[in-house]
Amino acid sequence: MSLFTVFAISGSGMAAESERLSAVASNLANANSATSSAGQPYRAREVVFRAVSAGDGADPSSVGMAGVEVAGVVESNESLHSVYDPSNPLAGEDGYIQMPNVNPVDEMVNMISAQQDYEANLEAFNVAKTLAARTLQI
Amino acid sequence: MVGPVDMGLDFYRQVLNLRAYRQQILAADIANASTPGFKAVDLDFKSALAAAVAAPSGGATPPPGPLWLVDSAAHMTPASASSAPASAAAWVKYQAGTEVTLDGNSVDLNQEKVKAAENAVDYEAAATFATQTLKLLTTAVNGSQSSSSSGG
Repeated sequence: MSLFTVFAISGSGMAAESERLSAVASNLANANSATSSAGQPYRAREVVFRAVSAGDGADPSSVGMAGVEVAGVVESNESLHSVYDPSNPLAGEDGYIQMPNVNPVDEMVNMISAQQDYEANLEAFNVAKTLAARTLQI
Repeated sequence: MVGPVDMGLDFYRQVLNLRAYRQQILAADIANASTPGFKAVDLDFKSALAAAVAAPSGGATPPPGPLWLVDSAAHMTPASASSAPASAAAWVKYQAGTEVTLDGNSVDLNQEKVKAAENAVDYEAAATFATQTLKLLTTAVNGSQSSSSSGG
């Protein structure tokens, strides 16, 4: 039944937006991580969404009809910030240290967008729930 | 399925199915509001209605029944294979006129929310009509007893 498919679609949307929010949280938390377990400065991460098609995805009626999924997480290739801090043990011979390329403004905008999308999915989910309950009363 | 007792019930079955299907389409649009390259879709009611009017003997016509007001014999013929689409999926079209973002996404979240709310009201209306039709049948079966009985 279509209404139960709505639950699956909106659920996948909420899961994907949560992951996007996780990436934002990770970026903000690591905005000053000059080094990581890989030995390199932290680079901002961004999730990439992909529509899950119910069929072959050729016609409009099947594209995205199975919801959305996270296709992958990509690292930003923006240049790292160079900060002059000769006292830092990670600083090079010239006294500069490479800092993460996290842009707090980008992250805040991304966060608000993810929140709005999550709420919209939740709304669609609740409407479907109301309609399913109403159907039982016929 | 279609008989004298059913009256217009089969019609409401189709309406509820169609509205639930459209809710699914709108939910998919909302879920993909941030998917790069995703194009918003919706049911093309206008074209579907035009096609149904143009081919009155197609599958999209209402079922025949004693209570159905018909002014054409073509409306009384049962559903048959014709040029009319077998299901609503054939009427799912890409939305036109919405803003396309830099990543190729054309979902307008506010518009989708409004459409979903509208569609939900239409669904509830059909459900209410179906309930009333059933009550009418119950009244016809029970007569004047129905108002006092618990079966109503």
